[in-house]
Amino acid sequence: MDGLQVPMEHVLGLASLLFAMGLTGLMVRRNILFVLMSLEVMLNAGALAFVSAGAHWGQPDGQVVFMLILTVAAAEVSVGLGLVLQVQRRFQTLDVDNATRLRG
Amino acid sequence: MSGVNWWAIAPLLVLSGGAVLLMLLVAARRDTPLSWITTALILAAAALSCLPAREAIPQAVTPLLMADSYALFFTALFAICGLVTVIVSHEYLGERHGENEEFFLLVLLSTLGAVTLAYANHFVALLLGMELMGVSLYALIGYPDKLELPLEAAIKYLVLSAAASITFVFGFALLYAAVGVLDYPGIGAALASADNPVLLASAAMIVAGLGYKLSVVPFHMWTPDVYEGAPAPITGFLAAVSKGAIFAALLRWWMASGLYELPGLLTLVALVAGASMLVGNLLALLQDNIKRVLAYSSIAHMGYLLIVLVACGLVADPHLAKEAAAYYLVAYSLTSLAAFTLLGLLSRASGSKELASLDDLTGLFWRQPGLSLLFTVALLSLAGIPLTAGFVGKFYLFSAGVAGSLWGLLALLVIGSAIGLYYYLRMVYRMTLAGDAQPAAVERPGWPARLTCYGLVLAMLYLGIVPGPLMEILRTIL
Amino acid sequence: MVYLLLILFLGGGLAWLSERWHPQAPRWVALGAVSFALLYLAVAVMRLPAEHFSLLPAATQPDTWLAHTRLEWIPRFGIRFELALDGLSLTLVALTLLLGLIALSSSWSEIDQHSGFFQANLLWSLTGVVGVFMALDLFLFFVFYEVMLVPMYLLIAIWGHEGRAYASMKFFIFTQASGLLMLVSIVVLAYQHAQVSGSYSFSYFDLLGSPLDSSLGFWVMLGFFLAFTVKLPGFPFHTWLPDAHTQAPTAGSVLLAGILLKTGAYGLLRFTIPLFPEASLEFAPIAMALGAAGIIYGAVLAFAQSDFKRLVAYSSVSHMGFVLLGLYAWNSIAVQGAIVQMVAHGLSTAALFMVAGSLQQRMHTRDMSRMGGLWLNAPRMGACALFFTMASLGLPGLGNFVAEFLVLLGLFQVAPRVAVVAALGLVTGAIYSLIMLQRSFQGPGDPERAVPDYGGREMATMLLMIALLIWLGVYPQALLDLTQPTVDSLLSEAGS
Repeated sequence: MDGLQVPMEHVLGLASLLFAMGLTGLMVRRNILFVLMSLEVMLNAGALAFVSAGAHWGQPDGQVVFMLILTVAAAEVSVGLGLVLQVQRRFQTLDVDNATRLRG
Repeated sequence: MSGVNWWAIAPLLVLSGGAVLLMLLVAARRDTPLSWITTALILAAAALSCLPAREAIPQAVTPLLMADSYALFFTALFAICGLVTVIVSHEYLGERHGENEEFFLLVLLSTLGAVTLAYANHFVALLLGMELMGVSLYALIGYPDKLELPLEAAIKYLVLSAAASITFVFGFALLYAAVGVLDYPGIGAALASADNPVLLASAAMIVAGLGYKLSVVPFHMWTPDVYEGAPAPITGFLAAVSKGAIFAALLRWWMASGLYELPGLLTLVALVAGASMLVGNLLALLQDNIKRVLAYSSIAHMGYLLIVLVACGLVADPHLAKEAAAYYLVAYSLTSLAAFTLLGLLSRASGSKELASLDDLTGLFWRQPGLSLLFTVALLSLAGIPLTAGFVGKFYLFSAGVAGSLWGLLALLVIGSAIGLYYYLRMVYRMTLAGDAQPAAVERPGWPARLTCYGLVLAMLYLGIVPGPLMEILRTIL
Repeated sequence: MVYLLLILFLGGGLAWLSERWHPQAPRWVALGAVSFALLYLAVAVMRLPAEHFSLLPAATQPDTWLAHTRLEWIPRFGIRFELALDGLSLTLVALTLLLGLIALSSSWSEIDQHSGFFQANLLWSLTGVVGVFMALDLFLFFVFYEVMLVPMYLLIAIWGHEGRAYASMKFFIFTQASGLLMLVSIVVLAYQHAQVSGSYSFSYFDLLGSPLDSSLGFWVMLGFFLAFTVKLPGFPFHTWLPDAHTQAPTAGSVLLAGILLKTGAYGLLRFTIPLFPEASLEFAPIAMALGAAGIIYGAVLAFAQSDFKRLVAYSSVSHMGFVLLGLYAWNSIAVQGAIVQMVAHGLSTAALFMVAGSLQQRMHTRDMSRMGGLWLNAPRMGACALFFTMASLGLPGLGNFVAEFLVLLGLFQVAPRVAVVAALGLVTGAIYSLIMLQRSFQGPGDPERAVPDYGGREMATMLLMIALLIWLGVYPQALLDLTQPTVDSLLSEAGS
């Protein structure tokens, strides 16, 4: 492979950073839309790590998995958004703190 | 791929084809009973298709799937559990107005995901099965969309389960970066030679991701809420199929890749197992909602089951431990399905509202002797009293633990079981208290649901009294 | 023997179902089932050749036992459905069925709610206990040992008195948790056997004499010991007993005191000591100390009770201390004493609980401070109470005296100092027994008080037990002859 090679460790570092940011967002954000977005960020961090690892080993598997992850993310989000719509209709808010009938 | 190949994955084909068929059917004609019966038939066909599939195994169907007797055994189990869920859900959905056809479709898809997990021999199949099962479950949990609790439970499950999947994916990405392979045997071979600190971190992330779905401590927070919010048949499905499938997949990966040889991981799993037994049982004591009690008890049960993973790593011949896991999963699936189904039926039979608090059980034994007796048997099986499947499962765990000399975990198992008795017996006791007068109208559940419950409880007793045949099957196929 | 279990088990189911047919039917069905089982046992024993009774039941030769059944059950673990009967088992099975009849009689008019389910539970717990006394496969033994708890739990939890929730729960959890420890021990034994011989076995006949690493052996023995001592109950694991006995309905107390406690003693005698002779020898001083402590502690606490049933319950703790001592003295005389004590205590305590039950039914209290002078109102009941109190405190000529005397005699050869302490128990036993009698039946009374005396059914039951206790007291040789071969073979198996 020619051209500029970014070392795998750097990409993995970036991916870990993204993952950590997503996780933080997941925990501090109270709006369901933002929570879903944080999940997307985390998922893409995983996908990025796969791509870079695939490049490192010179295998197509990394990119294949990336595409699989995209599909999975689409499925997750479509159901997620459907539920968000229902939440908006039921509770008139997207703040998760208002949905606290269950104690956990 | 030759012709034989197709037979080896016949259950997968039946389920996928059935799902497409059902979608077309629903598009053509909205008819709840029709789609109910179709779904039931598809699931029954999937379970039955394991029989001819036996001729074609073992073989790897693409690197993704491994068709062997292990896969077929769990396929049959999950298909039967799915069938039971479908049969009893009809009863549960009976009163609900609006379109219910998709409910059955979702159960079908979720079961397909579980079956994929039973076959999975590669990261991609694992992820695909897990997501297929999970995404369908989000929708199933939130299905009664006019109510607030299920919706909230669905959101909660979605967020936490997605986070778990992502943790799992990220862990696997790290593992892939370290070893460069994605199939289980390849990982095993690479692990044997590699020595990399990233390995343990990635394995821990993967186990954590799966641990979320199994609801073991410290990843258990979602369980009580989701159990409480979800419709009763779906809670049973979640407990039986979803957890069972994840555990089956984890066990296969654990064995195929020799994960237990990673130093530190075994200790980690042992700690998680011990913590789950203690925390699950102790917190169950504090609950006054039946579904929440059962939720915490399921945390404890998953802790018991993890003993098997630890034992697998410590004994020379892991056959006994694998059999223990399979037997325990069968017993636990049947029992929790029965418990939640009966809970659903009892609620309907004792008025329209959902049975929620322990107080609602008061006097049920005298108002609904038949169903209550079945529920009592299910509770005793969860508690592990002899003559029920739960006891034989526990006995198997004891054997596996003794073979691995896991004295600490065994001690916790004994303590946990003793604590568990308290909250199971408390429910039995409530039921036997003298209750109020007869409620105005006692509605008898329909015959399919009742028959299914009797069937489940009979199966539980059969497995408890005559465990020999299933043990022999397990011994030959595992 | 399988039929014996079937009769009781199916009888229970039938009794439950018969409630729909007629509310009085269950008790007759239950009575029929227990009588039939007793008759069946008697006929089966009669048909055995007489010289069979003098054979030593050797562990290696099941055909030297009075009866033996072996069916394959779970081949994966070498678990069999194995039942066997020797003199000891026979005695205890007969006692179980007899007390079953007595329990039925005592609950004849007491239970008016859900009587079908009550009789079913009664018969099912009898099934479990009979199974315990006959099972010679350790897995099967454990199954019976645990299963009998469930109907017993229900008996206490549904038909018990005011504190039944707590008492039944405590009873169940104590015995079940200790039982699980025993299960671990059983599995370890079977696993060790598999390591040595290549295949799992839970059979008593195979495991007896199976070699065991001595440090492991001690822990395994402890698992068994704890389970049985909780059941016995031995000090300091007795705390479930006063609650359970006090809160249980009369029939429940009769069964608990009469036979459930004996399963603990039986387990120690049949399993713990012969399976682990060395570990038991090492442990004997502690066990004896616990036994002696139990005798004194039970007696002192019995003395302090004002609740009639609670007093009898604590006296059980005291009496069962003698059994523990007798077993761990491990010589022929002391072990025989322990066996006689099991039978005699079963009868006398069951009778005292019956008296307590009838008092509760008639006066709606168990508090002795509200009794007194009952002799005036119910002289027949008073006479019965007097007789069984005397039996319980060890009046010569009655069964309990023989038992305690034999235990002390055997014990004195092994541990004279313990024997002296234990003998003190006899003195204290006399004190609390007499106090109980004095506070309830003697003293100033109220002749106007409406306390109906015993009727024909109750007197017949009482007379039966009186006769048995006198027979045991003046001619214990019959029982001793029956159990002597068992004791000899156990002693030779484990070394004395």
